Amino acid sequence: MRPGFLIRYLMFVTSTMMMLGAGEKHSGIPITPTWMPFRIPAGWPKPPTDIFAKNRLSEQGFELGRKLFYDGRLSKDGNFPCASCHQQFAAFANIEHDFSHGFNNTFTKRNAPALFNIAWMTALHWDGSINHIEVQPLAPLTAPNEMAENIDSVLGKLRKDKDYHNMFKAAFGTTEINSQRMLKALAQFVGSIISSNSKYDKVKNGEATFTPNEQNGYDLFRAKCAGCHKEPLFTDNSFRNNGMPLNIYTNDIGRMKITGDKQDSLKFKVPSLRNIGLTYPYMHDGRFTTLGQVLEHYSTGIQINQPNLDSLLRKRQPMTSREKSNLIYFLYTLTDTSMVKNPRFAPH
Amino acid sequence: MNKRNLLSSYAPRSVIVLTTMGAFLFLNFTSPMQKTSKTGIVSFTFNITVKGERLVLNDSQYTNIFGEKYRVSKFKYYISSPGLIHGNEIKIERNGYHLIDAASPASQHVVFRVPAGSYDKLYFLLGVDSARNCTGAQSGALDPMNDMFWTWNSGYVMAKLEGFSISSAAINQRMEYHIGGYKGNNKVMQKINLAATSPINIIAGKTTEVTIETDIDKWWQVNQPVTIQELPICTSPGELAKKIAVNYSNMFSIQSKQIK
Repeated sequence: MRPGFLIRYLMFVTSTMMMLGAGEKHSGIPITPTWMPFRIPAGWPKPPTDIFAKNRLSEQGFELGRKLFYDGRLSKDGNFPCASCHQQFAAFANIEHDFSHGFNNTFTKRNAPALFNIAWMTALHWDGSINHIEVQPLAPLTAPNEMAENIDSVLGKLRKDKDYHNMFKAAFGTTEINSQRMLKALAQFVGSIISSNSKYDKVKNGEATFTPNEQNGYDLFRAKCAGCHKEPLFTDNSFRNNGMPLNIYTNDIGRMKITGDKQDSLKFKVPSLRNIGLTYPYMHDGRFTTLGQVLEHYSTGIQINQPNLDSLLRKRQPMTSREKSNLIYFLYTLTDTSMVKNPRFAPH
Repeated sequence: MNKRNLLSSYAPRSVIVLTTMGAFLFLNFTSPMQKTSKTGIVSFTFNITVKGERLVLNDSQYTNIFGEKYRVSKFKYYISSPGLIHGNEIKIERNGYHLIDAASPASQHVVFRVPAGSYDKLYFLLGVDSARNCTGAQSGALDPMNDMFWTWNSGYVMAKLEGFSISSAAINQRMEYHIGGYKGNNKVMQKINLAATSPINIIAGKTTEVTIETDIDKWWQVNQPVTIQELPICTSPGELAKKIAVNYSNMFSIQSKQIK
């Protein structure tokens, strides 16, 4: 346990004791956590729904979520915490892995997405299968090729740890450890990861200026990419078919698996381009290793005969090599080092 | 869950949900009667049978209308917003969600309060309303630990029937129906109204027990045939799930009632 937390925790206990004028021994006496505001960066839209409407953010809820996020006990053999596939230095994506590694030498079927600005997302996962941040952890936690656990067993492990008793109490008022509290705490941590301090943001706030190459790349971005990767989140949360051939090993049809609608065949969620310099490899199956390969796909590789190809891509997006390199200069301005290095998001 | 915090009316959001479902009932928000009258206890007891005979899990073999033999290993379903109806007035248990499990006799009683009086129908939703499917982690009967929540495609399994049948070509001759879906055209929640042959009387301070037969045989016995041979597995929302849900909405009937 971190000293700062301990001090705050002791302050709570003391203040509660003072308020009640009695010794605080029983878990029946609730403790009030330190509420934390959710700050929307300047100039950003309001999130489509308030993910914290029924899960009020608190310092203690966030800290509990962080401990859970980094705790291998959420997986069957202890080796696969959430953070094993969502690494802070990779903007909480999985660096260099097209498919992530799971329990018992297995692979996932998709590339682990980066985790930030989730409060602005309307659905999670590449196919939009997950409808709320709080229920997302159930998917990797129970998948046999990921954490391979079940909730009952995880809660059993958490209940054996005295630290968790204290932290659940600090976050939720009593020592009870249940699935709802565990999921809400994880949502508080992951939902609080905001990336809004890249060079791009500083330019927008008048604190920095683009180099000529970056500026040219930004102009190209607005002309060729912004139709799907809408500022300031750099995604419009839609599902689109960007003309990549079906991966014949995973046979992943994307959104269609969820909706059952043929129109959704090979459609995947438009990912945010923020921190894209850190989140390689790219696309839902990590098929491209470099941004150069990604741009080559849009420039010459799009399969224009696919019936569900997105209407914005029917003529591909031809780019010269100079345009591509300037676009990459711009994309690197979306890297948010302060988020990637923020000690609040690191294990304690 | 929430067995004490009862009656009154739907919250406004639920009203919208109900209205979009084509609700026909008049919901009385501020009935003075409701506030001043005394309440009695209602207990819905779900008697799970196959053609009238109490279900025996795993060991007994049954035969459906198509002559297909099957055994049942798991049978669970959600009951929400249980209530009673008199004329055009409905009294429900607000935020009442219950998971009925054939393996757990204790789960088969749904107990709630309504104002004393005489009612002519009982009411419940078979499934979980859309709002609870998409607003995050729930607790109690809706806890994902109950193995009734799809982790790969968020949403509740409203009813689950699993077993084995020699008619099934699926792996291990499995029969597996996980019926869910809460969005748009894929909604499977069913609204159940059962008219009583004589009034259901609720007396203040007493418990009226209504036994509701749940006949698994009805999963097959209706106008939209789903045979085990042809369709032994349904584990995602869609047309098949909707068909099965319409079929199983017929499995309930009032068996008896008594005041204790």
